[in-house]
Amino acid sequence: METLSLLASGFTVALSPLNLFLLFSGCFVGTLIGALPGLGPVNGVAILIPLTFAFGLDATSSLILLSAVYFGTMYGGRISSILLNIPGDEPAVMTTLDGYPMAQKGRAADALALSGVASFVGATVAVIGLSLFAPMLARAAIHFGPADYFALYIMAFATIGGVAGVDPRKTLLSALIGLMIATIGIDPISGVPRYTDGNFHVYDGIEPIVALVGLFAISEILVLLEKHIKDRSKAIPVDGWMPSLSTLLSTKWAMLRGSLIGFVAGVLPGAGASLGSVMSYSMEKQASDKDGTFGKGDPRGVAAPEAGNNAASGGALIPMLSLGVPGSGTTAVMLAMLISLNVQPGPLLFERQPDLVWGLVASLYMANVTLLILNIPLIGIFTRLMAVPTWALLPIVAAVSFVGVFSISNSIFDLEVMIAFGALGYLLRKMDISLVPLVLGLLLGGDMERNLRRAMSISDGDWSILVQSWISIALYALTIAFLGLSAWLAIKANKREKARNLAE
Amino acid sequence: MISTRLLAAVIFVVAAVYTYYGNTYTVSFGDVLGPSVFPVIVGVPAMIFAGSLVVFPGGGVQWAGRTHLIRQGIALAVLLAYAWLLKPLGFPLATFGLIAALAATLGGPAVKSIQLGAAMSLCLWVLFDQILGLPLAFLGTIFGA
Repeated sequence: METLSLLASGFTVALSPLNLFLLFSGCFVGTLIGALPGLGPVNGVAILIPLTFAFGLDATSSLILLSAVYFGTMYGGRISSILLNIPGDEPAVMTTLDGYPMAQKGRAADALALSGVASFVGATVAVIGLSLFAPMLARAAIHFGPADYFALYIMAFATIGGVAGVDPRKTLLSALIGLMIATIGIDPISGVPRYTDGNFHVYDGIEPIVALVGLFAISEILVLLEKHIKDRSKAIPVDGWMPSLSTLLSTKWAMLRGSLIGFVAGVLPGAGASLGSVMSYSMEKQASDKDGTFGKGDPRGVAAPEAGNNAASGGALIPMLSLGVPGSGTTAVMLAMLISLNVQPGPLLFERQPDLVWGLVASLYMANVTLLILNIPLIGIFTRLMAVPTWALLPIVAAVSFVGVFSISNSIFDLEVMIAFGALGYLLRKMDISLVPLVLGLLLGGDMERNLRRAMSISDGDWSILVQSWISIALYALTIAFLGLSAWLAIKANKREKARNLAE
Repeated sequence: MISTRLLAAVIFVVAAVYTYYGNTYTVSFGDVLGPSVFPVIVGVPAMIFAGSLVVFPGGGVQWAGRTHLIRQGIALAVLLAYAWLLKPLGFPLATFGLIAALAATLGGPAVKSIQLGAAMSLCLWVLFDQILGLPLAFLGTIFGA
């Protein structure tokens, strides 16, 4: 019951004219960013953050805007998956498998409406889960001491890269590079300037937002420049938007299963929306693919991954808000914004700033309804805007990134830092090093060091304090188990590749 | 393989220099740990991981072909030029150059790229400066503004 009254007060925050306006524009912009191939949730949210600073929005309003954009990209990603066979963003990859074949059979309108409803179901399940579980997790996390937080951060770095298909050394190296960058600037405890080389621009440290826009937006331009740019295949035309009810009803279990699996994947560290949709799709295929229709335009193969990726993106907000440890790239970027506005997510956030938490949750309920309307009756707007070619889109993205970063401090130095991080991000991506752990290190580095030093002050220099509480021992055990598992998987994949090379 | 080794070696050297300098920060007051321990905790494992990538590089790097590399170089130069010319030229003129040049680099037709630059630089200025109230100089310092 307490949750309901908190949620009611959240709605009064969310219903203010400014927040409503941000909610609607966020949903629209988000769907558009999701629908445009080449712009994903991380880039979209990263570009918008400096603008929220420039407009002087408070933390609640900024978070409402960015979450609306985030949810919108998850809805929008499916549009180009279905009509172009090009995923609008990474989590929408699975939707191409059955969505495009469905559209080719002349059922494009059905596929779009169906996936819109599936997105709605998935996201709503996630928001309900968020309202129920985030406060519980926050209450549990209140018992965390400094040493436990240090352990939690180590676990976050180890797990954020995901479990499969990555070299754990690269994930950890990326996080360490982020931590190295985080120590640049004046040490907040002793006042010693570190790694500043006497340059007063970096005494305050590297502004994470500037680094983020460079890492995600500028490096994306460099990556796209090396792909062969050709005219996109023509989109399959859509006639009408009314879904056929029988198709919709036939997928209800696929949607529900997809939502639950996606939600769990989202809450777990290191999984995020992409894994959520992959897991939902493969589980649904195992459960219902009796006649071999999956991959040939089975509606259930559209519903499950869409419900899954939307549920995962909502679920990923839970660890970000209640522990201060994001579970995905986009939530890491949102964490950057909160930290820059001096809002430290974590258990205390729920006690000290209930307006922010519950205003956000209430907004997410409304964002889902808004997005359902935008994505079903108004789908025509997005299918038309999707025709913007890449050569016209990316320069505008670059210009908006520059405006955002420049308007934070009117500093040319910041623009140079942004470009430098773009080049760094590009090189790391070429080496197959994920940028998300780096961002996490950059963001959490300061807090991680503070917690370590606080713990050591409490113990008067005795390192054993780090493993004295059950919480930290459990967290280290989980971290080691996770790293062991992913190292084992990496070695197995390596062996398989070698065997294949030998066979050829 | 070579590229991964080379880049990992660069990261290794940076981490080594970082650790070396980290070790030099000392204060005689404050907390138990002081400002130098955390950089060492971070720098040493970074050296280990980077070093292991030099010795056992996992996965190779596929570089783009020569024309693509040239285009990437041009794009970086355009971005840097924009950073340096933004204040002298003012927002609309500099942004016109940025958008037109990047669009052409990305393979847009020349005339259309110029049209896009002209239209979007003005639109963005009106949107951000006039409607949303972010101050963006219309004329730059070389015009005496």
